[in-house]
Amino acid sequence: MKVPTTNPSPGRRGIVVIAVSIALSGSAWAQWPKFKEPGVPRDARGSVQMDAKTPRTPDGKPDLSGDWVRADRDPLPQELAGVVTRQGETQRTGVAVEPPTTPFPPDRNAPPLATFFELGANIQGGLPMTTWATEIKKQRMATNDRDNPDANCLPMGLTQFHMQPQPRKIVQTPTLIVILYEANYGLRYIYMDGRSLPPQGEPQPLWNGYSVGRWEGDTLVVETNNLRGAENTPYDGWLDVRGSPYSDQAKFVERFRRPTFGKLEIDVTVDDPKSFTKPFTVRINQRYLADDEPIEFVCNENQQFRQRIKVD
Amino acid sequence: MRNLIVIVIGFSLLAAAAPAVAHHSFAAEFDANKPVTLTGTVTKVEWMNPHVWFYADVKDETGKVSNWGFELGSPNGLMRSGWTRNSMKTGDSVTVEGSRAKDGSNHVNARSVTLASTGQKLFAASSQNQQQ
Repeated sequence: MKVPTTNPSPGRRGIVVIAVSIALSGSAWAQWPKFKEPGVPRDARGSVQMDAKTPRTPDGKPDLSGDWVRADRDPLPQELAGVVTRQGETQRTGVAVEPPTTPFPPDRNAPPLATFFELGANIQGGLPMTTWATEIKKQRMATNDRDNPDANCLPMGLTQFHMQPQPRKIVQTPTLIVILYEANYGLRYIYMDGRSLPPQGEPQPLWNGYSVGRWEGDTLVVETNNLRGAENTPYDGWLDVRGSPYSDQAKFVERFRRPTFGKLEIDVTVDDPKSFTKPFTVRINQRYLADDEPIEFVCNENQQFRQRIKVD
Repeated sequence: MRNLIVIVIGFSLLAAAAPAVAHHSFAAEFDANKPVTLTGTVTKVEWMNPHVWFYADVKDETGKVSNWGFELGSPNGLMRSGWTRNSMKTGDSVTVEGSRAKDGSNHVNARSVTLASTGQKLFAASSQNQQQ
């Protein structure tokens, strides 16, 4: 596709360049403190061996602990809008600001890949939304997704948390698994002590729901209910950036596998009869992030988004 | 926009739909169809979450100076791209490319920042196209 130039014509209105020449100060370009993570398999040149075998805990279970970034490349917003094709990608001037995404080779046996913007972008016909869900999504898109909890420093829902570009850390113990998200300082508890899910709605819905996990062979199966659905506030029940909703009735089942050192596969099944005419499953891949880590992120430190767009 | 040195870059890929990633909705606040390039002198840097903002005095064709606000990515994202809180300072002359606020206010979501003193291009870690 032909891409028009982005250069302004030089003969147009004069550009007033304020010629203040102040040299960049001598301060060194420092980054987050560098460290070399111990226990990571590396080749002779020090590169991480992503295909090395799965680490295991003393009791023989796969150890999912460590820092992870999403691996799947999201379609560009312009692609989703049908405005450009992938060939136009080289014209972009945007920059990666989070650890880079390197997709794994396609897996034909996997469920459709989820995308951050549209969870069902790779599902034939999209997500099987009910009229209720379709109307909510329409309303959300009509206000440019301004109520996305991610955009408002709030917990953003399980699937947005899995795909947000900022990294996350899994801490695994035999009785509890914790996921710590850099994004909006999210925190998720997965109880591994054999307890059952509480009844739906009891004692109350939660931002991240109530999650219990168990091992089925090398697969960690996590069931979640008691999520705050879209009935609660405009910020609740978001599956993706475009506002595909879930309701108070939603139940999520996530299947985590770590087939190699460097790969985490998460198959997410959403069963929510109020929002979807049938359950569906999507795949999210994450890649091990060695020698980097989540950094403190206090989102509300200086959040002025809603004041600037004059809705608060 | 009269008299301001706002250069309409014309249609580009960036003029296409551009929803948000991260800590605000890009599309609710900025208009990708209003690309601007501005040069000015930095008056303040707010190195804070969720997004860094800096302000610069920009002179228009008549010599009138206005203060503009520019949004960058998160401090963490910028740090991972090699920025520090000292990369840009009050008094620096910079040229910014970005998208102007929908409401026509002097707010811009910056895609790139170039230091006039060195020609060095500091990435903006814009929320507009950060995925990759």
